[in-house]
Amino acid sequence: MTDVWVRLEETIDALSRVTDIKSAAVVRRDGLVVTHTLPDGVDPKMVAAMTAAIVGTSEMATIQLAQGRFVRAIIESDGGKLLSLGAGEEALLVALVYDDANLGLVLLAMERAAKQVEAILRDGAG
Amino acid sequence: MMQSPPKAIAPRAKTGIPVLDERLQGGFPRPSTLLLFSEKPTEKRLFGENFAIQGAKAGETCLYVDFFRAPQLARGELKRFGAVDPTKLVLVDATSSQLLLPSHEKYHIDDIDNLANIREAIIAAMTAERPGRIVVDSMEFLMDRFPKEDVLRLWRELIEAARSAGTVICFLFINWTLMERELDEIRAMSDFVVEFQSSLRGGIIRNSMRISQMESNGIRTNWIPYTFKDLVGLTVYFPRILVTGPFNAGKSTVVKALAEKSISIDRMGTTVAFDYGNVNITGIEAEIFGTPGQERFEFIFKIFAREVSGVLLVVDASHPDELARARQMLDLVGPRIPYVILANKSDLPGAIPPEEIAHRMGLPDDVPVVPTVATENKGVRDALLMLAEMIIGVR
Amino acid sequence: MLGDAARRLQGILTELRRLPAVLGATIARRDGILIAHALPKVMDPKKIAAMAAAIVGTSEMAVIEMGLGSFNSSIVDTQIGKMIATGAGEEAILVTMVRNEANMGLLLLSVDKAVQSIAEVLRAAEVPA
Repeated sequence: MTDVWVRLEETIDALSRVTDIKSAAVVRRDGLVVTHTLPDGVDPKMVAAMTAAIVGTSEMATIQLAQGRFVRAIIESDGGKLLSLGAGEEALLVALVYDDANLGLVLLAMERAAKQVEAILRDGAG
Repeated sequence: MMQSPPKAIAPRAKTGIPVLDERLQGGFPRPSTLLLFSEKPTEKRLFGENFAIQGAKAGETCLYVDFFRAPQLARGELKRFGAVDPTKLVLVDATSSQLLLPSHEKYHIDDIDNLANIREAIIAAMTAERPGRIVVDSMEFLMDRFPKEDVLRLWRELIEAARSAGTVICFLFINWTLMERELDEIRAMSDFVVEFQSSLRGGIIRNSMRISQMESNGIRTNWIPYTFKDLVGLTVYFPRILVTGPFNAGKSTVVKALAEKSISIDRMGTTVAFDYGNVNITGIEAEIFGTPGQERFEFIFKIFAREVSGVLLVVDASHPDELARARQMLDLVGPRIPYVILANKSDLPGAIPPEEIAHRMGLPDDVPVVPTVATENKGVRDALLMLAEMIIGVR
Repeated sequence: MLGDAARRLQGILTELRRLPAVLGATIARRDGILIAHALPKVMDPKKIAAMAAAIVGTSEMAVIEMGLGSFNSSIVDTQIGKMIATGAGEEAILVTMVRNEANMGLLLLSVDKAVQSIAEVLRAAEVPA
């Protein structure tokens, strides 16, 4: 079991090293922290709960709007962007990104990481 | 084999977790034999270490027999439970001889392949130190090296020695080789069995323990989720307590009253997403989540009401017309989840008495209803403690 | 006059919907109550209003918690389109549904304009205390 956590930690560390990504986290879809590289001064539990609320609500809104499948949620602010997407049935991936980031590359890295997280959790559960 | 009783100490051995100690009527009685049993090594050791340290913190001398770790390593790892008087923690060194090194401890096992030598060393330490608690970490070490009949004999002898000395002895054990019948024998030798289990869900590990008293009609708790807090030790941990109820009942106020630090996502006087706070009281840590009360935000339950330890259902006692809505929201959380009703704003004129509330909601009369005034932090903590006791299986 | 405000808000939405990229738009109060909408019949405007309020409220809190300055907008990317939610004055939010192929630059200009107009209408409609 600790193996799952170590592998998730490695995935998030690697993602946080991608250019333009400041920090990242894996959180459970119901708002609990799994692992993160968020800076001190940011409460990971709150970020986890907020990400769960945002993604969960966005997914339901997507269904309401008959827009097919939810892909990702982006929060834009003066100081950067917060990107979140699904990472399998149980988890979400969230990343804090610089304002002038190359979103294309960031999203690619995040999608890859999300697939990894999904696989790790699936293996761990088996 | 008469021993002198332990040096002057409290009649019962506390676990250090107030909710548990209350359930145990102060702690484990003296003498007692505890069996700490799990599939994996780490969880039961935590309880054993916590038990030893809590004793030391209470001024009791504790004997820790460690077959796996060198004394320096063990002491180093025990530091994370907080500072204790080092003279209260006596280690029986069982590893130096394994490593062919001289021991620097007062009590040491010189021949690890000789069960009699092991027995003598432990008994000698018990006689000299008269400890209030003894932890043996861990019996499977002996089961692996010696015939099981011999180990079981030693086990009984240690229990007898501890009993005569009026002390609490705690055996850690993982079963590799014994049959169920032999395990039953070991359980029967014990006064209390503490079991441990661990589950992994969505990347998060949940540890829980269960205490059962072997005598018939003895104490039996539910599975109690726990965690470890630096410098404090073992704490009961509820990953999610939901605070819900109709609009304007006072949910956000309850969250603010309970948690030192909390956030509330609210607009124009109403919660639009959730409230969140972390609560730490008397050996319990809980994450509390307040839901919105308005119907238009019920989708929030689908997100947050998945792994709920318990519910604090907040109703406005001065608005009994909303009780039906409160009942509806309870149903949103799902069946079989422990809950306590907070009859909030109970200081207002027109507030109906707590005894009437359960009845009016069509709930059984034995449902706990606590009158509260959340704005003045009255009754809120009591409600949470009551809920904690229900979850643990104390009420 | 409230009726006048309602008409003006509907007008802003209709104008927005004229853009080929825009599939629908909604104005909601920040506490999730629907104010006005121009959505295709298949979409429930009340649910959208509540969900958008939850998303914007939470996003604004997240931005504060992470020390990111001020919140601009929340965008939900889906297979078929995007849902953009932005504040429209202190009391309201504007939710716009656009096709994925939209020219975002031009679109955001129109959204900004709409947001300003909405804020103005609501300010003017406020009954002084």
